[in-house]
Amino acid sequence: MRRVLEGSHAVSHAVELARVKVISAYPITPQTHIVERLAELVADGVLDARFIRVESEHSAMAAVIGAASAGARSFTASSSHGLALMHEMLHWAAGARLPIVMAEVNRAMGPGWNIWADQTDSLSQRDTGWMQLYCEDVQEVLDTILIAYKLAERVSLPAMVVLDAFFLSHTYEPVEVPDQDEVDAFLPAWEPTEILDPSDPRAFNQLASPEYYMEFRYKIQQAMEEALRAHDEIDAEFGQRFGRSYGAVRRIPCREGERAPLALVTTGSVTGTARVAQATLREKGTDVDVVKLKLFRPFPHEEVRRVLGPYERVVVLDRNISFGSGGIFAGEIRAALAGLDRRPRVYPFVAGLGGRDITPQTIESIVARALGDEPPADILWEGLKL
Amino acid sequence: MSPVTFRSVRDLPPMSRSADTMLWNRTGSWRFLRPRYQDKVAPCAEGCPAAEDIARVQILLGQGDFEAAWLRIREENPLPGVCGRVCYHPCEEACNRGEYDDPVTVNSLERFLADHAWKLGLTPPPPEPAAGGGRVAVVGAGPAGLAAAHFLRRLGHEVDLFDARDEPGGLLRYGIPEYRLPMDALAWEVGLILNDGVRFHGNRRLGGDLTWDELSGYDAVFLAAGTWKPAPLGAEGEEHARDGLALLEAIRRGETPEVSGKVAVIGGGNTAMDVARSLLRLGAEPVVYYRRRLQDMPALPEEIHEAREEGIPFQTLLAPKRIEPLPQGGFRLVLTTMEILEEDEGGRPRVVPSGHPDVEVEVDAVVTAIGAGPSEGVPAEVAGGGGLVSEGLHLKRIAPEGEWADRPPVFVGGDLVNDRKAVVTAIASGKEAALVIDARLRGRDAASIWPSIRVGRRGGVSMNRYLGGDRAAQQDHVVRYDELNTIYFRFQERRERPRITLEERRTGFDEVKMRISASLALKESERCFHCGQCDQCDNCYLFCPDVSVLRDLRAGTREINYDYCKGCGVCVVECPRNAMVLEEEPR
Repeated sequence: MRRVLEGSHAVSHAVELARVKVISAYPITPQTHIVERLAELVADGVLDARFIRVESEHSAMAAVIGAASAGARSFTASSSHGLALMHEMLHWAAGARLPIVMAEVNRAMGPGWNIWADQTDSLSQRDTGWMQLYCEDVQEVLDTILIAYKLAERVSLPAMVVLDAFFLSHTYEPVEVPDQDEVDAFLPAWEPTEILDPSDPRAFNQLASPEYYMEFRYKIQQAMEEALRAHDEIDAEFGQRFGRSYGAVRRIPCREGERAPLALVTTGSVTGTARVAQATLREKGTDVDVVKLKLFRPFPHEEVRRVLGPYERVVVLDRNISFGSGGIFAGEIRAALAGLDRRPRVYPFVAGLGGRDITPQTIESIVARALGDEPPADILWEGLKL
Repeated sequence: MSPVTFRSVRDLPPMSRSADTMLWNRTGSWRFLRPRYQDKVAPCAEGCPAAEDIARVQILLGQGDFEAAWLRIREENPLPGVCGRVCYHPCEEACNRGEYDDPVTVNSLERFLADHAWKLGLTPPPPEPAAGGGRVAVVGAGPAGLAAAHFLRRLGHEVDLFDARDEPGGLLRYGIPEYRLPMDALAWEVGLILNDGVRFHGNRRLGGDLTWDELSGYDAVFLAAGTWKPAPLGAEGEEHARDGLALLEAIRRGETPEVSGKVAVIGGGNTAMDVARSLLRLGAEPVVYYRRRLQDMPALPEEIHEAREEGIPFQTLLAPKRIEPLPQGGFRLVLTTMEILEEDEGGRPRVVPSGHPDVEVEVDAVVTAIGAGPSEGVPAEVAGGGGLVSEGLHLKRIAPEGEWADRPPVFVGGDLVNDRKAVVTAIASGKEAALVIDARLRGRDAASIWPSIRVGRRGGVSMNRYLGGDRAAQQDHVVRYDELNTIYFRFQERRERPRITLEERRTGFDEVKMRISASLALKESERCFHCGQCDQCDNCYLFCPDVSVLRDLRAGTREINYDYCKGCGVCVVECPRNAMVLEEEPR
């Protein structure tokens, strides 16, 4: 059924469709609408789940870890400082191999206090063992929650579905909401094997000596590698069932069957803006291919090399920064391309931090700089008031 | 249990997890603190002179087991229907909830339970026959005598219950007006007591045809003949005043006393309120005159409040000086104006004439309700108080001297001895008398039993404990508000019982306070903290990190699995009602 939904409520609907059993979350702007709606659904008896109220995000994550350990499909949502407070527990969820799904609304870290879109919060959690999937629009947000559960439960790892503050979380868009029976067919009930059972008590997550610790880490890496394959498979199955699939990396060519001299790599809602800029630039005689990166963890190295390797120039647009290095996506992409004999020149642009608008004009300016005589650099700032 | 060695990553589970059961790991051996379930005394139970187990009653009520809750009250008090209407409910003053928002309406819930049993015609199980009982005479069939007779009978004694009036009930029947205590409600509850085999003998007045010779044939006597003799007004012309108690008795007997017009009611106690409000209902225009101030009145605040609601005027700091008949009929009442002296003796300030001019009013009648003395026929040793020795909080005994040395022991209770003259203190007297007499007849030392059956430090004595019931296991600690974990409670408005309209109240004797519905009773009962009593909320179970709270859901019991309990104490901390305790592990 086609409905006009706020991005946050698209998440809530997806969680309802996924028949989640336990929800625990702590409010934080711009995430709050998601769990507010879920709390209503639970209170009204629409969603047969327990909503555990907690005093912090750390406890929220601990609560869903407990719920998932007991075999319940679990959900939480957070943003920015809330996510940062979860950090310790994020490692725990992954190490315990629990398929928790979280909606993470990208918001800047303070100070200065800022509630607007910025990816540094989720990217700071890069090494926790969580999968990360970045969404372009509200439809993709809803679909990705369902994909994420199937993927997480397949490989026994937690997954973060990432959406931009306000641009996605608070924007209403027409969304195709799948029927419950179709979702049930795609995403059957989770059948966990390693769960807490008081009648057969085991020690969980106990000491792992140097003798074994590394092997457990190896298993997580194996699961991440498996997740790369599984994501493509599940994404394809989703496409067959619902007519929409997204890919881990998706090339959006300027002209079908041709390769433009420049590829623009985007993530999140900026991809939508890039599509507009691409059309405008083409009218003005400049061809740019857009490459949308959805999967950040596991990182699709192979796919990135395959898609970006043949380009002369690659612009990476980062709405985030790793201080002392640069844009985080750019760093990962440059690392992936490093193994190629012939590599594109990479232009690592940082723009739109703390919710500053990235307009089609911003993108046109970036493209002009990359196609002009911009000297090579490890970080390029766009729109900075120097 | 042999250790498992993993040789390859393929053998390893996905995460760090034991390969087999951990039941062998008795983590209880790490414990140095031991949690334990421990029932304690709720402040309401200590506050109740009849020592009702109110918290447990509320738990049973909340579970919807109204009959069990009613029987639980009756273990300690055979008159919950009466007390649920007229008690001054010191339980509510003691209620911990009063420090949170407002006390639980224990009184209206007590009435709800009694009325539920009444409407359904429930009867308590008959008393179990007990060997070695004696023969006991109870003189006075008011609340003290009825309670004594009830408990003595339940304890296996033969009881003859004497009263000067034709029907049992005493002040309940002949002194409290219908609109506070309907006759049919009283008759039902008194009937349950008599049904146990108490022999009632009406129209047997002590000092009349009931003699000490006859009473000397019993093994023990309990004297609770009440205080029916009007106190002198001490005003000139007082012979023109009518006695308020006699007026109330006449109304209760179905007579319609000839009173009309403006009637001065002298006094500030419950009897004065009862008289004034009854007169109003008979069509007269009562005015209450009191020598002190409104806030000094001994009547229950809610009685004063309801009287004023009904429109009865109160004139204070006026003491009667003279009553003069007027030639055209009626009387001139001359009143001395009074003033308060600063010093405050025993809770009520002294008053003295102010020196201002007297006040004169013309009235159609003057009715006194200024207290009463021991009833006719009560021996001088009791009436004067000089010949009594203390036997309990609400019980005295005539010293076995002189002629009393040769008679069976005579215990005295109710209004004859109680400082606070109330129905529930009279019931406490009756229960104490029954316990002392039973102990005596069975060769037990009552004084040594007393400490173990007193509820709390200041409370009444418990029949349940005397008989070795479950309350005997209670730790005799009264739970304080600061010992509760109130995070688990939420603010909820106290639900006062509904009342009939003012118009109905002014014109008839229908009961003012209405019975509350079962749903309202359940909601109000939900407010009870159940201080010190496990109500199976399961917080301990939910919080226990060692899955060491074992539940028997059918029996409604919990126990701790000490094989695995590490003694972290989270169960004790999270118990909202202090029904657990954490103790050092015995070494």
